[in-house]
Amino acid sequence: MNPHHTTILLVEDSKADIRLIQEVLKSSTVPYELIILRNGIDAMAYLHQEGEFANAVRPHLILLDLNLPRKDGREVLAETKGDPKLKRIPVVILTTSHNEEDIMYSYDWHVNCYITKSRNLHDLFRIVKGIEQFWLETVTLPMY
Amino acid sequence: MKSATQNMNLTRLEQEPIHLYNRLQPYGILLVLEEPDLRVLQVSSNAQEVLGIPLENIINQTLEDIFDAFQVGYIKEGLKDNNFDFINPSKIWARVNGGDFAVFDGTFHRNSDGFLILELEHPVSYESIPFLSFYNLAKTSISKLQETTSVRDFCQIIVQEVRKITSFDRVMLYQFDENNNGAVIAEDKLENLESYYGLRYPESDIPAPARRLLTSNWIRIIPDAQAEAIDLVPLLNPVTGKPLDLTFSTLRSPSPCHLEYLYNMGVGSSLTISLIKDNKLWGLIACHHQTTKFISYELRKACEFLGRVFFAEISSREETEDYDYRMKLNSVHSLLVDSMTQEENFVDGLVKHDPNLLELTNAQGAAICFGGNYTLIGKTPLEEDLDKLIEWLRENVDQDIFYTESLADLYPEAIKYKDIASGLLVIPISKRNYVIWFRQEVIQSVSWGGNPYQSPATELSLCPRKSFDLWKETVRGKSLPWKQVEVNAALGLRKVIVNIVLRQADELARLAQDLERSNAELKKFVYFASHDLQEPLNQVSNYVQLLEMRYREKLDQDAEEFINFAVEGVNLMQSLIDGLLAYSKVDLHRNQLAPTEVEVPLKKAMANLRGRIAETGTKITHDLLPTVMADSTQLTQLFQNLLGNAMKFHSDRPTEIHIGAKELEDSWLFSVRDNGIGIDPQFAERIFVIFQRLHARDEYQGTGMGLAICQKIVEFHHGSIWVESELDRGATFYFTIPKGGEEGESTSHNYLASGRQ
Repeated sequence: MNPHHTTILLVEDSKADIRLIQEVLKSSTVPYELIILRNGIDAMAYLHQEGEFANAVRPHLILLDLNLPRKDGREVLAETKGDPKLKRIPVVILTTSHNEEDIMYSYDWHVNCYITKSRNLHDLFRIVKGIEQFWLETVTLPMY
Repeated sequence: MKSATQNMNLTRLEQEPIHLYNRLQPYGILLVLEEPDLRVLQVSSNAQEVLGIPLENIINQTLEDIFDAFQVGYIKEGLKDNNFDFINPSKIWARVNGGDFAVFDGTFHRNSDGFLILELEHPVSYESIPFLSFYNLAKTSISKLQETTSVRDFCQIIVQEVRKITSFDRVMLYQFDENNNGAVIAEDKLENLESYYGLRYPESDIPAPARRLLTSNWIRIIPDAQAEAIDLVPLLNPVTGKPLDLTFSTLRSPSPCHLEYLYNMGVGSSLTISLIKDNKLWGLIACHHQTTKFISYELRKACEFLGRVFFAEISSREETEDYDYRMKLNSVHSLLVDSMTQEENFVDGLVKHDPNLLELTNAQGAAICFGGNYTLIGKTPLEEDLDKLIEWLRENVDQDIFYTESLADLYPEAIKYKDIASGLLVIPISKRNYVIWFRQEVIQSVSWGGNPYQSPATELSLCPRKSFDLWKETVRGKSLPWKQVEVNAALGLRKVIVNIVLRQADELARLAQDLERSNAELKKFVYFASHDLQEPLNQVSNYVQLLEMRYREKLDQDAEEFINFAVEGVNLMQSLIDGLLAYSKVDLHRNQLAPTEVEVPLKKAMANLRGRIAETGTKITHDLLPTVMADSTQLTQLFQNLLGNAMKFHSDRPTEIHIGAKELEDSWLFSVRDNGIGIDPQFAERIFVIFQRLHARDEYQGTGMGLAICQKIVEFHHGSIWVESELDRGATFYFTIPKGGEEGESTSHNYLASGRQ
């Protein structure tokens, strides 16, 4: 892993969505490394550098889906934002749900932004580009 | 004497201590004796005439001095046993006027003060009946009685037999009700006499003191109702200085009132036999003769015996009839229970089958008030009167059962329907639900033996007709009393109904639970639909588009068109899901209604639509808007759908929308008026039905759910929504929001329903 690259952790169970995000990110100009995990348990193990993830690189940004198998995105969010060591990592919820309760819950747990996935490909491009431009190019991310 | 009592108030009878009324009938001699030497303390004033001995030679003499000493010695022996039955009657011989011996029937009794009283009557030997003939008479009568079944027939035979033995002109059987009012239930008489059968008498006719006398003295004879009464000499008892208690005396003179009564009825003599049940005066056998008539001691005793024998039978028949009636009510009860379980609504089971609930208590009318509805059967007061009655019951009755035979005494309002509801029997099921039985005023239900109103008017104040009138006064507003068995039957029914109601409440609770569960499941479904259902949709949509983007150069025009159709299909499905979600959310997210400034949700809706408003150049104006009890989020959705609709169905002119508000009595009437293409009035109802569309999708996009959601939101607020429009003339959507939130619901609804016609 190249420490100069920006590391993005994508926690998403849908292969189709993973592929789609990968496709969109292909056009990115910023060098980054995309780490993909398919469930909440693995995501937490990665963040805590446990087991097979002992040498994991701390991500600069987490893209988190809410509905995940084994441990869902809400728990991952709460555990991340509740952990003093992890709470500075920006978390972007990227989900199909536009359920009011989910939105409130996420912001209550200090999510950095909540984005509803679009079924319009152009919108999706725009969203991912937006994330990229904002989180990878505009903001100053915390140093560890 | 008669004229003196002409204007006597009947009610005075009530107070008169008639047992201390010390006048005597002159047909016999009464001697008050001091024991043990049987010295005469007082004597009836006629003794001098009958015995031919000056009164001063009787008073303070012993019996031996006056009568045959041998006999008196014999009597003295008999008195030692203290059982008067062994010596009553004793034949007593006396030398009259110092010449011939005269024979008397002597009967002894002791009064409440312990004085021994001897009463002497002239025996009427030719009327004395030998035991065997008396036995045969009784036997014949009894066997006749055994053939009859009903108490009424039985009583009729008694009066016939008593009349046969005694040859009185009229023999009647009176029965007293619980309030001691009397009724003639059997009569046998000379053909030409006016019938008293069926007449009723008020309690005051035979007042408590008289009833007490009749209860202690089972037989009472007045051989000559017109004979001048005589006094005791001395008037007051020399030992006590007071009048003598003559309760058990046969010779005691009837009260002037009673005598006048007899006189007015044309009665010359009478015999009264008391019928006692459980130490209470059950009734009387009253024998009347137009002329004087003396009944010997033996014959009197024979009548009393017959009376007792027959009456024992009456009592047992009555008990049988009571038992039979109870059994009948039991059977009615179980049939009613069967009917109630057969019917879906137990109320139907009580009124639609035979027998119905009237038969359970022998009532003429009944009302079942359940869930705010009345089910009426038979003769009942009007519903508006029932409303008030139930209000009264709610405040005044908190026991399991309540009954009265004179409702108007407790609840004066009931006087206006006393004819049909003097008697009331109620079983409250709860504070709101009642079963009520009504019994008509007794006057309405009495069956007359001949129409009493047709007899000639009489000036006499004391006579059966006057009594009857008086009785009618005393029972005004009264029904027949509710029998204990009927009250018990009603209580039994109450238990069953309470059980049914409890079971229904259980079922309701279970239904509510089921509903809650299915609501919770629906919520889960909504979530499922909002997420899981959309994910595959997004996937299809995105990949089709990716395909198009990546391989655009390689696709021909057909392929591009196909991709567009696929994307359109996905989009439509997405908006259908969104619509369904919005529709179900109206119920699911039951936010508390709160005071809401209507302008706030309107502005929010306009903000949500700002893109399209700007795009179409729509001009939106509104009246001054009120604050109503509402769910702001839902109002936003409502305005958003209505404004969206107005913009969608625009005409060639620039779209103008005006939101109006008008205050009605109980609600606010809002309107959303546009200048669009309008709606053909024939579709005015249809547009609110879910998935109903008036246009093809390629003309106007839409799911067919927007207005259905609007209607659901308005209904959730207990208002109404409708449209008024004509084609090409724009459309105005109206909706109402009740002022008080959920209350006032029905009135505003009704008002508007009629306002829409």
